[in-house]
This record gives sequence, structure tokens and C-alpha cells, in this order.
Amino acid sequence: MGQALGPRNGAVGRVVTEAFLDIQAAEKSFGAATVLGGVDLKMAAGEFVSLLGPSGCGKTTLLRIVAGLLAADRGTVRLDGEDITAKPPHRRDVGVVFQNYALFPHLTVAENVAFGLKARKRATSDIAPTVKRFLELVHLTDFADRSVRALSGGQQQRVAVARALAVGPKLLLLDEPFSALDRKLRETMQIELRRLLRELGTTAVFVTHDQDEALTMSDRIAVMYEGAIEHLATPEEIYRRPATAFALGFVGLSSRLAGTVVSDEQGVVTVETAFGPLRAAGNFVAGASVMLAVRPERIRVNAPGDYALIARLRDAVFQGSKVQLHFETRGDDQLMVETADLADGVPAPGTEMKLGWAVSDTLIYPAP
Amino acid sequence: MTTRAVPSHAPSPWRDPVILLAVPAVLYLLVVYAYPLLWLLMKSFTGPSGLTIQPYISFLSDPFNWRVVGNTLRVAAWVTLFCFVIGYPAAFALARAGTVVQIVMLVSIILPLSIGAVVKAFAWQIVLRRDGVVSQLLVGLGIWDEPQRLLFTETGLVLGAANIFLPFMILPIYSVVKLIDPRLSEAGATLGATPLYSFTRVTLPLTLPGIVSGVAFVFSMSVSMFVIPSLLIGDRFQTLATLTGRSFLLMRNEQLGSTTAVILLALAVAIVVGSTWLARRLGGNT
Repeated sequence: MGQALGPRNGAVGRVVTEAFLDIQAAEKSFGAATVLGGVDLKMAAGEFVSLLGPSGCGKTTLLRIVAGLLAADRGTVRLDGEDITAKPPHRRDVGVVFQNYALFPHLTVAENVAFGLKARKRATSDIAPTVKRFLELVHLTDFADRSVRALSGGQQQRVAVARALAVGPKLLLLDEPFSALDRKLRETMQIELRRLLRELGTTAVFVTHDQDEALTMSDRIAVMYEGAIEHLATPEEIYRRPATAFALGFVGLSSRLAGTVVSDEQGVVTVETAFGPLRAAGNFVAGASVMLAVRPERIRVNAPGDYALIARLRDAVFQGSKVQLHFETRGDDQLMVETADLADGVPAPGTEMKLGWAVSDTLIYPAP
Repeated sequence: MTTRAVPSHAPSPWRDPVILLAVPAVLYLLVVYAYPLLWLLMKSFTGPSGLTIQPYISFLSDPFNWRVVGNTLRVAAWVTLFCFVIGYPAAFALARAGTVVQIVMLVSIILPLSIGAVVKAFAWQIVLRRDGVVSQLLVGLGIWDEPQRLLFTETGLVLGAANIFLPFMILPIYSVVKLIDPRLSEAGATLGATPLYSFTRVTLPLTLPGIVSGVAFVFSMSVSMFVIPSLLIGDRFQTLATLTGRSFLLMRNEQLGSTTAVILLALAVAIVVGSTWLARRLGGNT
């Protein structure tokens, strides 16, 4: 790490280090349907980037292009300074963990892990220790001689990870590797995989449609929609300042109020909404239709904020450590609050409450 | 990938009456198949003075008969090999084709089965003549200097028989290929395996059960074919099956006929069982 494109230190300094993975203007169409419309993505060595988006957004297509399993119509892929656009997959040094794992059903666990080493003609004396080491890393030492068909989903997933990592690929691609696992197992595996990749210093691209997974694991997240990257940033940045209304809606919950800009002074606009005039930082001309958004946990209940509005509670959902409050709104507006401190307990529906939040927490987007 | 439950002991037919559904088929086979076969076997071991192995000794001591056994096995081996070489790739094309193409291909494979071997053999007579399509094509390509007759040659027999038995090679392999996840080859490639390496280490072992059934089908059918050699090569070339037929139909020699029939059966069973066993061993746990 510590390169110009490092996860959290941005492109500072004058020395421009070449990106470890550099995808430029990748385009792909199937017939008349454009699946990828010129995607750029640069990654530093050791970085973990998630491609997050709904199905059909092009994330798996992009992954397959990087792996060499699909040829892009246009664009280049460079890995570790080398143009690999035209290379076949078996000469790319790019490992893949497939969604259904794609384990070799006729081989044992150890033979699956050894497959890539044998295919690459590693010295026989090297293969056994390497297989042993990677089976230890994924806690499957006792299963070495079992058939992969006799394993549970979580164990198969670990075999797939060990198999892909054993050859020491320059880049690891993961295509929704946890989607077949139940929630609890998935959370354990996420943490385990992240730790393993960090230990090995593996650069990884992770495809998922699960925002929690992306937020938990990634150094950076690329939110994809309709064949384009809408926002590429750290999980925190994506959550706090989503670049587009799509990114806002796809990652996390939000309160959303439609309105019209009534005045614009030095980058702060006043917007007339169903709850009265509200302010937000942004450059919009008077008369523009906009949408204001606030993350629900940034809204204070019965406390002073930059402004306060009165709303009537529709219902309250008790979620243990926090309470989710939904308020009555008009049209497509949504007003929800997540709060941990309700001194007088969960209020009854119909209660009128005073809500407030900071101008700096207010996000503003052109009306969808 | 589902985990296959392996029962620790076979269920008793009394507790699992599903097995009783096979009773009609078993009875039928006993009457029309096992009984006559047993009769043949008895016949071949029965001489004028009771039990004897004399028919086998006299059969095996005649060099002509060894040539017949050789002809039988050689032709069957060539037919099986030819069917495998063109049927294996075709099975992949069939399994990976789009729905419409797949239906068209399946129909064009299965429909010819409804045309009897006699009709097809006569059609091949036209193709294999001196002025037939094959001869003209080979001359046109410069492979042959002058037109030749393929009809009534062993090559012609192999070509014709392979045409008729090809579906029995393609279909079992197809049914196995269809079950193989296409991602496996991709996984092989991303692990650094060349297409050839992935093929020999992944695809081939996984298709082995299909190959074994295809080979068993085609081999046992070509060992025992009677109509096709009669029409495509004639009496000069005898196989165990044609010799059996001649013994019963022309020479009225039931003893010789039963002996050759039993030898034919033993050979076919030995080779089919042997190749299955070999394939299982080579393929590991497939």
C-alpha cells in the first residue's frame, strides 16, 4: 500500500504511481443491449474494491472481462503494468471464486486446491506443502481427502477460495461468493476472507448486490448502475455523501423529501418542501425540482437542529438497540428516523414530534 | 452440487415395494431372452453322447474360425472408434447448443433410427459404389487417382455401420455433458490450465461414464450386427454373427450356430465389462 491510489490517502503528491489494475473505457454489448458503457477503474496493489449494484448493472460482465472469460468490445485492461486485454484467461494470473464455486466434482478437496499448481507445472515437492498451507488457512486440513461433493456450502466456498489463492494470483476476483450461504455463516465468512486477503496482501475485486457485504469488506466501493460506475469511493464516503440519487437509494436508508428551489445564496439553496422551507448545500437555480435526503440516524428527535419541523408519527419499529420511526408524509416523500435514545420509551402512532438535522447532513439531488 | 446420500444397506424389497414394479419386465425377459439363451448354451455343450466341449475344441482348432473372430472384433473396434471420434465432439455441440439448434440436432439424430437398417444399408450401397458420392469426392479432392468401389469392402462396412450406430454413441455422451457445469472449464482456465489440460483433467474424466455407455452400446451392437454386413460386404466376409446366422439358416447346423453364438456373447460381455472396469479405474470416482 502507500501508493498514490491507496485506499484512504487519495491521489496526493506529484509522483503518479501506475495503478496495479487499470481498466480503461471497457465497453460490452450483447446484441442491442449495452451492458457496459465505457467503465474506468483503477486499483492499487493490495486494495479490496467491491462492485456493488443490482442484477443487470454490468458488474459480473466487468469481472468476466478482467478474468479474460469474456472479450470486451472496446477498452483495455492493464494488470501490474502489463496490457492483458488480449491474453487468454490461463495466462493472466487472475484467480476467480465463482458464485457456484465451480469445484471439480471428481476430485478431493486437496486435489482441487492442487489443480492450479499442477496445471502451472510447479515442482512436485512444492505442491504438497502449498496445498497443506492453504488448507490450514481456510481451516480444512481435516477434509483434505474428502470428495468436494460431501462438503457443506460454507466448506465448498472455502475450498474455492483456497484453490484460487494457492497459485498466488496477482488479482483475485470474487463473484458473489457468499450468496448461497445463510446469513450467519455469511457474516463469519466475510470477516474471515477479509482477514485472509489482508494477510496475503491480495488485491481483490468483489462483486456483490449486498450493500452490507460491500460496506463491511471494502477499501472502496464502486456503485454500478446500468453499465456505469455511479460512485467510486470509500464505504464511509459512499454512505455519507453518495454522488447520485441511485447510490443514495442503493446503499443504506434515507429520508427523502421532494421540493422546489426558491433561492440560491453562495452555494446554499433554500428548498420549499411539504414540511416548509429547508436548506442544503448545493448549486441549483431557483425553480429547479430537487430531492432532499438525510440519513435516518442523522435526524434528532425533540432536539434543536439547524431547523426543526413537526411531523406526525405513523408507526414505530422497535429493533432492540434502536427504534425506527416512520412519519406521515405526502406523495413519494419518506421521512424516517433511527434513534437510540428515546427517554420516554417508544411513542404511540399519531404523536406529533419535533425533528431536526444539520444543513451539513442534508444531501441534495436533481429530482429523479 | 448436492450431497448424495448413500444408504448403508440396500432396502429390502418388502419394505420398498417400488422394486416390484420391475416384475413384468423381469418375467418378460426370462421368457423371451434368458430361456432361449440358456437353450443355446445347453445345445452348444451337448454332443450325441451327452455333455461335451468338443464343439468348442473343433471350432477353435480351425484357423478360418479365428479369422472370423478377428474380423468380428476388428470391425467392431473400428466402428466404435469411428463413432467415438465423430460422436464425442458432436455430443458437446449438442449439449451446449441453443434450444432451437438443439431440438433440430436431436431430431436429426433420433429420426434416422426409425428407418430400418435394411433401408439404410441399401442407401449406403448407392453411396459406396464405384461411381458413388464418396468415390467421386475422394477423386475430386485428389486423394484417390481413380474411382474405386467401397461397397463390399471392410472400409465400406465400417463406414456404413458407424452411420447406423452413431446415435448410440452421441446420446449417452450428450446426457453426461449436459450435466457438466460449463464453469468448470472456466475455473480451470483461471487457475492457469491450458484448454487441453482442462480437457484431459476435468472434462474427459467427467464424461467417462457417458463414453463407457456409448462404447458399450456401439461395440455390442457392431459385434452382433447381421443385416448390415450381409448387405454391405456379403458372404466373402464372415463375422461371428453372420456365421451364426448361416449355421442356423443355411447349414442347419444348430451345434455350430449355438457354439458361435455363445462365443460371440462371451466376447461381447467380456469386452464391455472389461472396458467399463478399466474406465472406472482410470477415471477414479466418477
